[in-house]
Amino acid sequence: MLVSLRWLRDYVDVELKPGELADRLTMAGLEVESVDEAGPEFTNVVVAKILSIKSHPGADKLSLCEVTTGDENYPVVCGAKNINVGDVVPLAQVGATIPGGYTIKSSIIRGEKSEGMLCSEDELGIGEDAAGIMILPGGLSLGEDLADALDLKDTVFDIGITPNRSDCLSVIGIAREVAAITGKKLKLPEIVFTEAEENTKDITSVDILNPNLCPRYTARIIKDVRVGPSPHWMRLRLEAVGLRAINNIVDITNFVMMEFGQPLHAFDFRFLEEGRIVVRGAQEGEEFVSLDGKERILKADTLMICDGVKPVAIGGIMGGMNSEVTDDTGTVLLESAYFNPTSIRKTSKWLGMSTDASFRFERGVDPEGVVRASNRTAQLIADLAGGKICRNCIDQYSRKIKPVENIPLRVKKVDEVLGVKVKAGEIKKILKSLGMVVNKTEDGSYLVTPPTFRVDISREIDLIEEIIRIHGYDGVPMSLPAVPERTDIKNREKTLEEKIRVILTGQGYSEVINYSFIMPESANILGLKEDDEGRKFVMIKNPLTEDQSVMRTSLVYGLLDTMRKNANAGCFDLRIFEKGKIFIAQKEGELPLEKEKIAGLITGIRYDDLWHWKELLSDFYDLKGCVENLFDGLMVRDVKFKSGTDVPLLHPGKSCGIFVDDKKIGFIGEVHPGVLEKMDLKRNAVVFELDFDFLAMHYTEEIFYREIPRFPISSRDVAFLVGKDMEGERILDLVVGESEELLEKAAIFDVYYGKGIPEGMKSTALRFTYRSSDRTLTDDEVDEAHNRIVERIAGLTGARIRGKED
Amino acid sequence: MREDLAELQRKAEAELNSAGSEEELLAIRTKYLGRKGLLTLLFRKIGNAAPDERPLLGRLSNEIKEALSVKIENALEKLAPQGKYGALLQEKIDVTLPGRGVRHGRIHPISQVSQEICEVFLRLGFSVAKGPEVELDYYNFEALNIPKDHPARDMQDTFYVEDNIVLRTHTSPVQIRIMEKQRPPVRIVSPGKVYRHDSDVSHTPMFHQIEGLWVDKGITFSDLKGVLTYFLQQVFGEDTVLRFRPSFFPFTEPSAEIDIQCIICGGTGCRVCGQSGWLEILGAGMVDPEVFKTVGYDPEEISGFAFGLGVERIAMLKYSISDIRLFYENDRRFLEQF
Repeated sequence: MLVSLRWLRDYVDVELKPGELADRLTMAGLEVESVDEAGPEFTNVVVAKILSIKSHPGADKLSLCEVTTGDENYPVVCGAKNINVGDVVPLAQVGATIPGGYTIKSSIIRGEKSEGMLCSEDELGIGEDAAGIMILPGGLSLGEDLADALDLKDTVFDIGITPNRSDCLSVIGIAREVAAITGKKLKLPEIVFTEAEENTKDITSVDILNPNLCPRYTARIIKDVRVGPSPHWMRLRLEAVGLRAINNIVDITNFVMMEFGQPLHAFDFRFLEEGRIVVRGAQEGEEFVSLDGKERILKADTLMICDGVKPVAIGGIMGGMNSEVTDDTGTVLLESAYFNPTSIRKTSKWLGMSTDASFRFERGVDPEGVVRASNRTAQLIADLAGGKICRNCIDQYSRKIKPVENIPLRVKKVDEVLGVKVKAGEIKKILKSLGMVVNKTEDGSYLVTPPTFRVDISREIDLIEEIIRIHGYDGVPMSLPAVPERTDIKNREKTLEEKIRVILTGQGYSEVINYSFIMPESANILGLKEDDEGRKFVMIKNPLTEDQSVMRTSLVYGLLDTMRKNANAGCFDLRIFEKGKIFIAQKEGELPLEKEKIAGLITGIRYDDLWHWKELLSDFYDLKGCVENLFDGLMVRDVKFKSGTDVPLLHPGKSCGIFVDDKKIGFIGEVHPGVLEKMDLKRNAVVFELDFDFLAMHYTEEIFYREIPRFPISSRDVAFLVGKDMEGERILDLVVGESEELLEKAAIFDVYYGKGIPEGMKSTALRFTYRSSDRTLTDDEVDEAHNRIVERIAGLTGARIRGKED
Repeated sequence: MREDLAELQRKAEAELNSAGSEEELLAIRTKYLGRKGLLTLLFRKIGNAAPDERPLLGRLSNEIKEALSVKIENALEKLAPQGKYGALLQEKIDVTLPGRGVRHGRIHPISQVSQEICEVFLRLGFSVAKGPEVELDYYNFEALNIPKDHPARDMQDTFYVEDNIVLRTHTSPVQIRIMEKQRPPVRIVSPGKVYRHDSDVSHTPMFHQIEGLWVDKGITFSDLKGVLTYFLQQVFGEDTVLRFRPSFFPFTEPSAEIDIQCIICGGTGCRVCGQSGWLEILGAGMVDPEVFKTVGYDPEEISGFAFGLGVERIAMLKYSISDIRLFYENDRRFLEQF
């Protein structure tokens, strides 16, 4: 909210410099977000008096004036006709700048010298009157800078008012805080006016049909108003806080709203049919044109201010075009009311209209300040628009808002919450400075009654907050509670997360974080089947964009998107991983299933473009090695890579499921060329995704040391000629299945097909390692075991032994 | 036999003296000391000599072998520049070329900062708690004292899944879920993703928060100040100047915003701190009694404080990043800087 220092000073003496005041307010919970020096957009414009006016010898429409600034006289050529000798006017002196970037120069106009320029309000940017020279009020000293003379300089604070402090949505509200912080006295405006004989109650009436939504409504008739521009002082204040001056009646209602925080509305009484006010719900589908000129279709529960026939305002939000105050308005009906905050908020949200009025009503205005604001407005209308205030204000207040009274406050509790002793005397002083009534009880505690405008205070804790807010947070010392001895409880998920990061970054993979929301089309791009779980999207009702309208069901799409973005930036080589949640929608009304996943992608060359290697493109086995290392590092054993897993986004021949103990915990594979094409990706990519939650359950940190073998190994190599489709692991499984005591390990060290190998076959070479824990093996022993194994495998698989084909 | 040995030594030495190249020297070594060399052959004949002479002959031939070896080595050494050493020098490599191997990957800056923050609290006996990212309105708002149609809901623009299901707008619902399950004392930090309907240079629709909660008997606002000061000085340095100022959160009272003196300008005012000299870093407060009642704690018995911070904000300050969206572009050139 913008607050003008000039305006603030109407209600409290401010001795602090603007910067200091801003700091004090901020430290009391009214965060000053900016401090702006506001002033006119001109320089070197002074107060001058016209000494003589002669007609210009060379031009009919111009006149030749002599003006004085007190010390000196200047000839000025002027085109305006509204000036007379003796008028006090603004003189832009030679060298002055005025809005629009003009600089005044000494010049000869049609043969006559002109040392400056007489200005209109419009030319100075301080008013809209462009018709003639601005005639200044009497009593200004000649030669004085115009900005000082007219008090045009101001400081404007932009204060962030938290939603609980509706009482601070007014200049007086801020002034009250300033008074409390600085120990000054709050000066409220004196409200006095004379009432005419005519009685408001004889002219109009108010019926509230919906008192829950409108607990209080006051109306007053003011006759014979003269609609016109507001006085300068009022316009300055309104404009400083960002309100546009319209006419005196509207400006006064805005002024009082800003002054007291109570929104008001003035109706042109001529247009109120049957001359009365009815507060009621709208008819479903009823049309209404609000003051901003927009046509609104209303709902049945929208609270409307109506006359005897039709709606004339959306209650608490905006008036209507049909009863607007205009230049020829003579009698106004002045509304000052209290609306139900929740109802206003609902309506405002539903209509998409947030106004200064609705903003205040939905946060809660002072229910007991309604009449005072009406009085203040009436006073100003009488003073500034010459209105006659009819006797008696109609005040319909059937549902009394029960004020909060006598909140018990224990001094001991203050200490308990804050951890600092605040003296009873200071507590009392602070609460009183905020307008609270404080009574001591027999047991030494207090009963505190907050003012009705403090709608945020109803409990002891609310009072304690007020006490420390004004006492100052700086006044609370710092302490550290006793830290428990056991500080070693680290959760497994957190540990796993860290381990995974270490293992994967160690292998050259960098962590990425993608948005959790993706586009629904991604399911089609990834080729998911109709019944795929990945299509059970959690849909966002109000997404920022269609591209971010559903929650992801896999991390892969995000990784491919990252790949695409990098490719667009000219980077085709990536090793990345991501840890995050996926979301599977459940039944309506139920939270989705959230599963933590870890996924990775490799694309482009295997090693950075270095002198060692020519480009070697990464493939399935690069990523598989990474995943194997991951399991190894987490000490998760019995991991199986089984082909034939149907993951539609993967290349069917270059992908597999990842299993632990026969439970599928993820997949790995080359991305399906169709997916790459749809995503406009030119290079191959290999991806994996694993169930993080499973890993969290199954990783271990326990290590059991095994004796290092004391006797040497003997190894034997064999190349099996097998069918091309025979998976290496099948052979290894058979080998491991052999219960040969001496066999320590078997590993595939070469796979070859092509020249020299029959069509449809391949050579899979295994190295067998034999060892005994208690002796060095002899060649014969090894050969015996080895031959047994090789024959068995050949028998079981139909493999031929290479080199022994004949 | 002794004469044969002496003769052989003389001849060998003479040959050595006239040898001028590495090849010649190596040939002499082979001729005399090799497996079928002259000295080796003579040595084998020692077995034919008289038994009492054998030890002496053995020693003598060993001495000759030793002496010749040393001489040959010395001679080879003298020829070094053109010899073996020279040959090694011929194998010189360019040590300035880059090393071989995969470059290590990087941990995302958000994870790094989040990790660093959690570590500080783990040292204070906090444990890590997690909660769902798609959350019931009840946990995200109502239980945190933010009723439907309350203006406080404007503080957080919300993504809705259903009328009563939202993408969590803060990590605070974890507080409620934990307190519902656990009796005091409670000491948790909860890092995670949160979502708000907002997108510009300083807002992304998804970002990361860390929530903290310390609930026990006798926890005071003074403890809040102490713990959070310790934390911020751990993260930003011992000399970091802080200020605690009143603010409003529906689920804490009293509430505080905690600012650190601008680490860019040192408090004199700059673009980063909006000329104020201060950077808003952390929101905190004493848990509101209403929240305790909601989870079935007795606010007369139990007190505590909660806090929340935005990880991106701290990462941006730490690494001087001016556009928050960079964290989610995942550009390799960005990632590789951390």
